[in-house]
Amino acid sequence: MPNLSRRRVYFTLLVALLLQLLPFSGWLLQIKPDFLLLALLFWLLRAPNICNIGIAWTAGILMDLISGDLFGQNALAYALTAFLAVMYQRRLILFTVLQQSAYVFLLLFVNQVILLMLKSFSGSEYFGWTYFVPSLTGIMLWYAVLHSRLSINIMTRQQ
Amino acid sequence: MDQQQAPRFFIHGPSPFTRLIVFSTLSLALMASDSKFSYLTPVREALTVMLQPLQVVANSPFVLFNNIGNYFTSQQALRNEVEVLKKQAIFHGVQLQALESLKNENDHLRTLMEATKVSSQPARLAEIMYTGRDPFSHKVIVNMGEANHVLAGQAVVDAAGVVGQVTRVFPYTSEVTLLTDKELSILIQVERNALRAISFGHGRDNTVNLPYLPANVDIKKGDKLVTSGIDGIYPSGLGVAIVTSVKTNVSSPFAQIVAAPIAGIQNHRQVLILSSDTTNLVAKDIQQVLSADAKKQLDKKEKTSRRSDAKP
Repeated sequence: MPNLSRRRVYFTLLVALLLQLLPFSGWLLQIKPDFLLLALLFWLLRAPNICNIGIAWTAGILMDLISGDLFGQNALAYALTAFLAVMYQRRLILFTVLQQSAYVFLLLFVNQVILLMLKSFSGSEYFGWTYFVPSLTGIMLWYAVLHSRLSINIMTRQQ
Repeated sequence: MDQQQAPRFFIHGPSPFTRLIVFSTLSLALMASDSKFSYLTPVREALTVMLQPLQVVANSPFVLFNNIGNYFTSQQALRNEVEVLKKQAIFHGVQLQALESLKNENDHLRTLMEATKVSSQPARLAEIMYTGRDPFSHKVIVNMGEANHVLAGQAVVDAAGVVGQVTRVFPYTSEVTLLTDKELSILIQVERNALRAISFGHGRDNTVNLPYLPANVDIKKGDKLVTSGIDGIYPSGLGVAIVTSVKTNVSSPFAQIVAAPIAGIQNHRQVLILSSDTTNLVAKDIQQVLSADAKKQLDKKEKTSRRSDAKP
């Protein structure tokens, strides 16, 4: 395992947050993957000593602020997803890229289902199947990043 | 660093399960307090201001792109635009003169009828910074906030009609809920027959609904819906939507009426925020009515006293 610095983890998370903040609109907004959650999962699986459930929860609070949702909605969903990721972390890093992607897809989906439940408690309607499109685009992005060995670049490049 | 001493693949500190319990409880508590009480509003405002620089950085590529696009518009295009605008200005100028006299006439007639005058509301131009991050809530963030004396509840309009309402005010920005959002309802009136109703945002497609109207209601496709002005938020007569379909279902006593917003809620950079001082307006109206009543009663008394004076 390469020596990962805290700074690099936080920097990538910040970049993911910025990507999340990009002013998309229309169909681009509909298919926009959850960049922040993907970055979180990436580090949860690779650097669990730096990126833990607390970081995921904090990121969720920031997402609540950005989206103007009820405080704690995204935070709860992120914390639960992070827990599921951390639980099987030691087994997951031994999987192949494809197997890992399948599990991460499940995590993305679970995150959206939790959010959907919380949102319906606070009075939103059922959104239709397009609600789950970001999971699909998210896993595509995940697979592309891992497959193109960009991830190794991110992890090994010296700052 | 402690990382060097122990094997790095063991997670230190409390177990994941403990962390999960702690953070879940925390977020549940936050959600409960945020939905039921408003303790967290100042916290939210402060944190939003702190996030502002990030927001600006994220917006900058798009702003730059727009600016570059503006810079390279051709002279011909600008000339054409100026010509069109000049023609429009002449046209509008003529209309404005007519409007001025009509307004005076209307005020005069209203005073004759002893009705209160329709007060004009000052407006300020705000620019849309970005749309909300959630594709299922129809909200936009504009560049005016508490610093510009924007208040929650003020109406937001454009040249064609109602856009929505300010729902949350931050120090330098504010959140505008569009009229297509599920949470927003507007008191409307059908322009053709002055029928009053309430329009609700649909939430998914960019349309509004008119629920709770009987199946035999007199609304046709193509009817224009305007604000009734009863709510005191929107001035009366602003365009809201045009009815696109009226369906009646045998199993339901209500008609299903769908209307499309008139205002270009999807393709705008700038909107007008109407600074309605509603509470003051209502108070003024009540005062006027009361003073008018008092005057009448005084007049009556005077008359009766004169009569009684005249008799003996």
